Order: sequence, then C-alpha cells, then structure tokens
Amino acid sequence: MKVANRKCIYRLSMAHMKSVRNRNIITILAIVLTTVLFTALFTAGISLKEGFEQSNFRQAGGYNHAVLKNITQKQFDELKEDSLIREYGDRLFVGMPSKEPFNKSHVEVNYYDENSAKWSFCTPIEGRLPTEGTNEAATDTAVLKLLGVEPVIGNSFTMTFDVDGTETTETFTLSGYWEYDIAVVANNVVIPRSRAEEIFEKLGTKGNNGMCTYHTMNLMFDSASGIQDNLREILERHGYQDEKPGADNYIATGVNWGYVSTQMGENMDPGMVLALMAAVLLIIFTGYLIINNIFRIAVSNDVRFYGLLKTIGTTGRQIKRIILLQAAALSTIGIPMGAVAGYLLGTAIVRVTAANMDGIDKVISVNPLIFLGASLFSLITVFLSCGKPRRMAAKISPIEALRYTEGTQSRKKERKGRTGASIPKMAWANLGRNKSKTLISVLSMSLAVVILDMTHVFTGGFDMDKYLRDVTQDFLLAEASYFQVSQKWMNKEGGKEAAVSEETIARIMQQEGITGGRAYGTISDIEQLVTAERAREEYGSWRKGGLSGEDLDFMVDHILEHVGDQRAMDTRLYGMEDFLIDKLEVIDGDLGKLKEGGNYVAAVYDTDDFHNLYEDWHWAKVGDQVTLRYVDTYEYYNPKTGEVYPENASLGNLLWAQRAKEYREEKYEVVAIVLMPNTLTYRFYGDDEFVMNADTFKEHTGTDKVLYYAFDCVDEQIESMEQYLKEYTEGEGSFYDYESKMTRAKEFYELKNMFLFVGTAVSLVVGLIGVLNFLNAILTGIMTRKKEFAVLQSVGMTGKQLNFMLITEGMLFAGSAIMVTLMVNLVMGPVIGQALEGMFWFFTYRINIMPILVVLPFFLLLGVVVPLASYRYVAKRSVVERLREAE
Amino acid sequence: MTILSTKNLRKKYGTGENEVHALDGVDLEVSKGEFVAVVGTSGSGKSTLLHMLGGLDRPTAGTVTVDGKDIFTLKDEALTIFRRRKIGFVFQNYNLVPVLNVYENIVLPVQLDGNEPDKKYIDSIIDMLGLSAKLSNLPNNLSGGQQQRVAIARALAAKPAIILADEPTGNLDSRTSQDVLSLLKVSSQKFSQTIVMITHNEELAQLADRIIRIEDGRIVGGN
Repeated sequence: MKVANRKCIYRLSMAHMKSVRNRNIITILAIVLTTVLFTALFTAGISLKEGFEQSNFRQAGGYNHAVLKNITQKQFDELKEDSLIREYGDRLFVGMPSKEPFNKSHVEVNYYDENSAKWSFCTPIEGRLPTEGTNEAATDTAVLKLLGVEPVIGNSFTMTFDVDGTETTETFTLSGYWEYDIAVVANNVVIPRSRAEEIFEKLGTKGNNGMCTYHTMNLMFDSASGIQDNLREILERHGYQDEKPGADNYIATGVNWGYVSTQMGENMDPGMVLALMAAVLLIIFTGYLIINNIFRIAVSNDVRFYGLLKTIGTTGRQIKRIILLQAAALSTIGIPMGAVAGYLLGTAIVRVTAANMDGIDKVISVNPLIFLGASLFSLITVFLSCGKPRRMAAKISPIEALRYTEGTQSRKKERKGRTGASIPKMAWANLGRNKSKTLISVLSMSLAVVILDMTHVFTGGFDMDKYLRDVTQDFLLAEASYFQVSQKWMNKEGGKEAAVSEETIARIMQQEGITGGRAYGTISDIEQLVTAERAREEYGSWRKGGLSGEDLDFMVDHILEHVGDQRAMDTRLYGMEDFLIDKLEVIDGDLGKLKEGGNYVAAVYDTDDFHNLYEDWHWAKVGDQVTLRYVDTYEYYNPKTGEVYPENASLGNLLWAQRAKEYREEKYEVVAIVLMPNTLTYRFYGDDEFVMNADTFKEHTGTDKVLYYAFDCVDEQIESMEQYLKEYTEGEGSFYDYESKMTRAKEFYELKNMFLFVGTAVSLVVGLIGVLNFLNAILTGIMTRKKEFAVLQSVGMTGKQLNFMLITEGMLFAGSAIMVTLMVNLVMGPVIGQALEGMFWFFTYRINIMPILVVLPFFLLLGVVVPLASYRYVAKRSVVERLREAE
Repeated sequence: MTILSTKNLRKKYGTGENEVHALDGVDLEVSKGEFVAVVGTSGSGKSTLLHMLGGLDRPTAGTVTVDGKDIFTLKDEALTIFRRRKIGFVFQNYNLVPVLNVYENIVLPVQLDGNEPDKKYIDSIIDMLGLSAKLSNLPNNLSGGQQQRVAIARALAAKPAIILADEPTGNLDSRTSQDVLSLLKVSSQKFSQTIVMITHNEELAQLADRIIRIEDGRIVGGN
C-alpha cells in the first residue's frame, strides 16, 4: 500500500534534526573533513596527471592529438572534412636558421594557422599572431634575445635561414611574442601564409602540386583515446595508408606521444591504479570510522525517540528514511564546504609536489571531475556509514526503547569479583559500555598517528648516502643539452658536438683548490665487432627495443653488417683522465694500464637502482680482445635485394641497412670491467660502452670534444664555486649547465620535504577527524550519563571524584590509541619498511616512534581537557534537575 | 533525641508569573530511630523536601539540621562528603550503576569515602536482604524488587544516620512493595537508623511510625 506520507516524514526528520544542533555541527565537520580528503586527493591526482601530460606535450612540441605529415594542399582539403576530425590546424614548414646566432638553438620558421599556433604553445602574451598579407611575424623571447631585439611590438628583425637548401634573408615586423619555454624543444618564428608562399615563390622551392611545399595537418579528435585507430580510419576512407612508405597513397602520420604515455599510465600502470584505490579506500575507511560512529551514537541516544515513533505507528522503513534524509541534508551543507577546503589543500600539495618532480608541470586543474568525484565519494561514505545505524534504528522495539540506556543492552550478565569498585575500575568499565564506539574512536585516533608516523619513517628513511651514491664529484660542468633528459648530448640530427671549451676549463682551474678531469666523448661512428649470438641477445633485450621472432632474425641476419662470423654494432666510447678513471668502480681487473695509455679499454657494466650488477649488461670480460672500427663513410643498401643506394639518396621512405666503407680498425685488450657512476655517463642507454685513456681516445678517434669536466673542490671553496658556476652559466656561459653535489643534496631535501608536507597534511586532516571522533565519543558519553552522574553524586561521589573518573576515562581512551599505534607501528613498520626499500632505492628502513611520543602528551591533554570541559557543561544543572530528567 | 530538623524551609523556582513555591515554610523534627512517611499528591513539594533533607538541593531560605549540623553552611564538596557519611538514598527507579555488579554497587558509597567496607556488617545486610546469590550479577539482570533491595543495601552500607527514600516501591507490584518495605523497616530498626520515606500510597504509609501530610509546600497535618 502506498501512502502519501513523504512530506510528513520529511517534516519529522527535519524537526528532529534541528533539535540536536551540536550533533549536527559535529556531523557536518566530519563530512567536511572527509570531503577535504577526497577533494585534495582528486585535485592532486588530476592536476599531476594533467601536469604530466602538459610536460610531455611541451616536449613533444604541441598538444594536438595527431599529425598527417607532408601532404599536398589537395590532400589537405580532402582530408580536413573527415567527420572524425573535431578540429584541424595547418602548418607549413618554411625553414631553419643555422648560422650565428642560431648555431646552438633549434629554431624553425613556420606558417601556423590559429589552431596550430595555439596547439604548439605559440600564443603571444603580448601582441598577436601575424596578419595575412603583411610582413609581420611572431616569435618567443629567446629568439628575440639571440637576435638582440627588444621585445617591443612593431620592432623589426632580420634573419637568415635555409629553405630546402637555399639560403634567404628576410626582415619581419614583430606582431607578438611569448615567453621562451625551456622544455619546448624547438623555438618558433611564426609567419603568415602569404609570406611563406612569397618566399617559396622567390626561391623557386615550390612543391610538386604547384602551390607550395607540403603541409602538415594537426588534428584534434573528440577524445584522446584511440588516436591511432582514428588516424587509420581516416586514411582508409580516403584511400590512403601509413604502413608502406614509398607507395603512392602513403601518408606519414604521427600520434602525439604525450597522449600515448598518459593513456598507458591510465590503462596499464597497475601500481598507480592500486595506490589510488588504496588512497580512496583509506579515506572511505577514515570517513566511515567517524561518520558511522556519529550516527551509531546518535541512534542509541535517540532510541526513545524512535521507540516513541514506533509506538505511534511509524514503520522501520520510515525511520530509515528519517535518518537518510538527515544524512542527505547534512551532506548538502558539509560537502561543498569540504570541496572548497580540499581544493585549497590539493592545490598546495600540487605546488609542492610538481616543483619536485621531473617531467611534471605545475598545473592546477579545474576539471569538474574533481568536485563531482569527491562529492560522489563523500556521499557514498556518508551513506555507507549510516547504513548500520539505520538498520539499528529500524529494528528498535518500542518496549525495549523505553527502558534503554547506553550499555544496558549488553549481553553480559555477571562480573566476578568482590573487591568492590574503585574509580579507575569504573572508568575502565565505562569504556566497555559501548565497545564498538570505543573501538572505533580509538582506531580513528590511532589512524592519524599511524599515518604521521609512517610519513616520518618514510622520509626519515631517505638515505642521503644512498641518494648521493652516484655523485662522486663536487661539480660537473657540461653543455646544457647533456643534462636534459629530452635531448641527448650531441644529438645526431643537429650534427653538432656540444663540447666544453678548453678556455672554460682553464677558467675553472684558475680557482683555488680544484682537482678535476675531462671526459671526452664523440658522436662519430664507432663500431665494435661482436658474435652473432651476442648481437641477438642485445637486440632481444629491453635496451635495444626487445625485438623477437622474425624482426630479430632480420636484424641480426640482414641489417647488421657481417664481418666474418661477427656482427658490427654501434658502441660508445669515453676518453677519461685519471681523475675520472679513479671514480670508476672496478669489478674485475685493474685500471693501471688504462691510466698508462695504449690499446687498453675497460668495459662499462651497469646495475639496477639497488646496485645489483646486471651480469650480462656487457659481453666483454677481463682479458678479452675487442676490435673497434672508426668509420668515416658508410654505404647504404637494400637489405632484401642487396641493391646499393646512390650516395645522396634520401632514405626517408626506403628500407635500408648500412655498412662501413671507409674505416680504421684498432684492437684492444679489456683490462677491467667497471661500473660508472650514473652522473658520469652519457646519460642515455643503448649501446655497449668502453672507457679508454683520454690520450688514446683523442689519438684513435681523431676528436677532442669534452663531454664534461668534473672536479672536486676544497671544502672552503664549495660555496663560492657554486656561486661562480651559477653566475657563469646564467650569463656568459649560458650554453653550459652544471650539477653539484650541493644541488643534488638540496634536491634530496626538497624531495624529502615534499613527502613530509603531504604526509603531515594528510595526517593533520585525519588527525582532526580522529580528535573529532574522540570529542564526539566523550561528549555523548557524558551527556547520556548526566543522570547517572547525579545518582553517583547523591550516593556520595564528590565532584572531584567524578572528574577523576572522567579524566581516567579520557586517559584510557588516549592511552589505548597510543598503544594501538605503537603495536601497529611495531608490527607493520618492518613489513612496510621492506616494501619501501624495494620501491625506493635511496630508502633505508629505520624504526621511528618519535612522532608517537610527540603526539602522546597532546592526546593525554585532550583526554583531560575534553571530559573536564564537558562535565563542567553538565554540572551547570543541579543534581536534582538531572535526577528528575526524563522520568 | 532530634536527629533531623528543618526551620522555616522555603524553596521557590522561577520568577514573576512563573514563580512556584515548592516549599513554603516547612518546620519539621524527626527523632533518632523514627520511621516517618511523607504523603502528598504530586506537585505537593514532597520530593523537594526530601532533596533538601539530603542536601541535594539548596533552599531559598531556612535551615536543615542533621545530627546537630546546619548542612547548608557546608560547601558543595564538603556537603557531598557529609551526605555520604550520614545519609543513604533509595530512589523509585533504583538508580544502580549499570557497569558495576551488585556487590560493587552496594559498597560504592563506602569506597567513595576511601574506606574499606566493614565486611561483617555488609555481609549481614546482604544476608538480610537475600542478595547472597546475586552478588556478581549486573543490575540489568535483576528483577525490579531485587534491584530495589540492592539500592536499600547500598543506602545502608555506609551506616548512615538517616535513610531518605523517594517512592521506593513506586515501580514494584504490591506484594513486592510490602516485602521491600518490611525489609527497609527491619534493617533500620536493627541498625537503629532513621527513615524518611515519600509515598503517595496510604496503605504503605501506615507501616510508618508517623505520617506527615504535605500540600502546596506546607505541612498540613500528621499523626
């Protein structure tokens, strides 16, 4: 039977709620705090994810989903109408300057339409993009600086650049500029299309469709998932493909790897997903502990009220509804407040963490998902939490309800003992009245301390010695690209070897107390001869892409050059001076001969983060002979047909392999196998590496480019040297960058502080929840016993004795929370510690109970103050008034 | 010998229109060993009188003298201590402490005073009230009559000079009421204690040595 009683139940629910103001405040606070945790988690999580993406986009040069490369105007017009494409952008590559002052930068002159400019981070902060039909251009502050032009709109600048191999000098009027971004690999000069075509016309470099050179189409789809599939489908619909280079209908495509990597992060990294789920569960649990406790206590306090409702004919379902409505009403107040506060906390966490993480930009997300998600999870927590109390309330029998007082529903019938009652004993017994309430409050308080303590165990376990294990020198100076993860030193595309000049080294050596050494490096082609078996092994490993099956066979049998039974594989060489040779860790053999010079090399091995040797990293053992080839020219051929390509052929769309044509060979003896500290390597992986004496290196390679100069410095000079290098690399020597043990140590502390901040912030909020729970438990415990206290006073308990009893209860509470924390810490600590040691190579587990000891007096204080304060409130009413109450 | 007396005892609650004179000048004397029943309708002021006699509430005017001591000259803390030594309370709804077992409830007032219970004396009370088998029980497992017997034992435990009982049988059936009251009477005689009992039950009041009638805060008669 359906009766229209919803309104009535609603009115009843709200009226009842209004009668318990203090409880509402506590409940709202609990909901606020829970929402704070969720919002902070989501804000931080989503912001960091977006920051990670943005950082990748900047490195990838843009945030469009994909590109179609080298297409004609006709193809462009044909493809742009495809229904899968949400937005598209046009780009024409015009040229690249390479002469002074651009010899050390990657600058491109491009026509970008509005979309492409926006997606490629070319949005002027001052002025605007160039207008068609004018001689305007827009660029970034770094290009202007190189040109020596003030960033003032309307200034003109002239630059010389190559367009398809033909040099041209053009003058532009600055229409707008943006801030140079160090992470974006290329600097852009954006010109209008009219100007681009004018230049092609002038130089006669028009493409074969008679319009201009090829277009690049930047694409945005409806979503970032399935980019590759979308591309394929578009091409297929128009009769193109991107798999067989050289065919007529071939169009090269590119998927923005910024999206690829985050998609992978979302779909595939189970560790992250697990950590996130654990965090969400922990918050739900924390929220559950308090909200459930509040509702549970509320229901047992309101038993008479519900009993009364039952007597006059309210059904269990209606009572459930009353509680649900109240929970919903309190959530409507609490959740928005918590969302605001949580967002603030979350942004603070993002600020601190993003600053300490490589490859993550500081992005404060305003994604509505944060608020939707946090609110949803808070609501779920609230509803989960009041589930049991609702069932309890619904089951109350009206008769029992009238006789109910807290603790009397206990099934326990007896208590042994004839020693009588002492006050501490009564206090202890009082805690046992509502065991679940006590247990939950204690757990809730300990949870905060456990988190705080774990934070300190974690950050306290950060081992500076381990962290700095790879920094064996005080300072290391190199050309800036050497330090950039996104740019390899001397990348072959530019063909420039970015070395440290002798003049710079001389300057440093002029300073006092310096001992150092040069490491020479080269990008020229050097090959080692290895067995086919070893070649197979390496190409099958992750270092070289983990080929398998036919691909691996083809690589070893056809692509790699055969020299007798052996295969020629690329190798990398270091030429080191004694200072650096001494920094190598010898695993086997002796470095004496290496220092003397001659045809001796050391083979470089590697370890994992925990310093466990990879036994098969390198093939060479002490005493082995290795043949190195210094290659001057290669010839290129088709590995399938054997056809040799002409010398200047463009290999872009062809299948090719190479073999050395002109080269010198040297034989070396492997005198040692060594480990090289990470800071001294080329800083990218791939080929087998050998170290040789600096002089031998120069003689045999015919190059003398200094990869880096590493040096130690007497202690007193370290600060001033740091200052000197900082100023030097920011000013005159801006092509250089440096790394110091000091900056590494600082990095270490910053990392540590980041975790400390996040952990402390979280334990603070959880702590507030714990304290609130404690407050609520004690408060309600005292309120419901108002009458009992009056009885005790009438049989002769003095106010002092009563206070003593209540304080004892508070202390027992606080003490149990600390005990539980200690136990958890002692039991869980080593387990978690071991897991952390496995995850963070610079972590060493040490037991740490300091935070617990620090929190202890605070808890004990709470245990004294809260009962005293609540009793004072109760004692405002006389014994007689309290005795008469609720009769 | 007078053990308990009041002089011009007044208590008013509220002010102005809401002013209620719960006690309006009560003069009363009770001798040692006497069993006095105070009868009156609800709202007559009989409970207020009992609370004043026990020092649970302070009067607006007048004095209460117990064993020669004007109790309202004492500060709250001292008054409580005086009360637990001199006065035992028995309430209508027993008011036992739910977390303590029967024995612990009984000896509570003695121990609150920091004393060891007089074992022989306590045992004799327990025997007399027939609670020997129930000492380890928690209050919520006892019947109403049993609970009230525990409450009486508790009131007697500290050997108080006076026992104040507020409708001690109000929640009991008539048979049990008779039993409980007889026990109260017997024990007080045995230990020569004075009893002031509030009731609205004339039949029970007949068990007392003297009946005092109270109406609108005044003593209107007695025998």
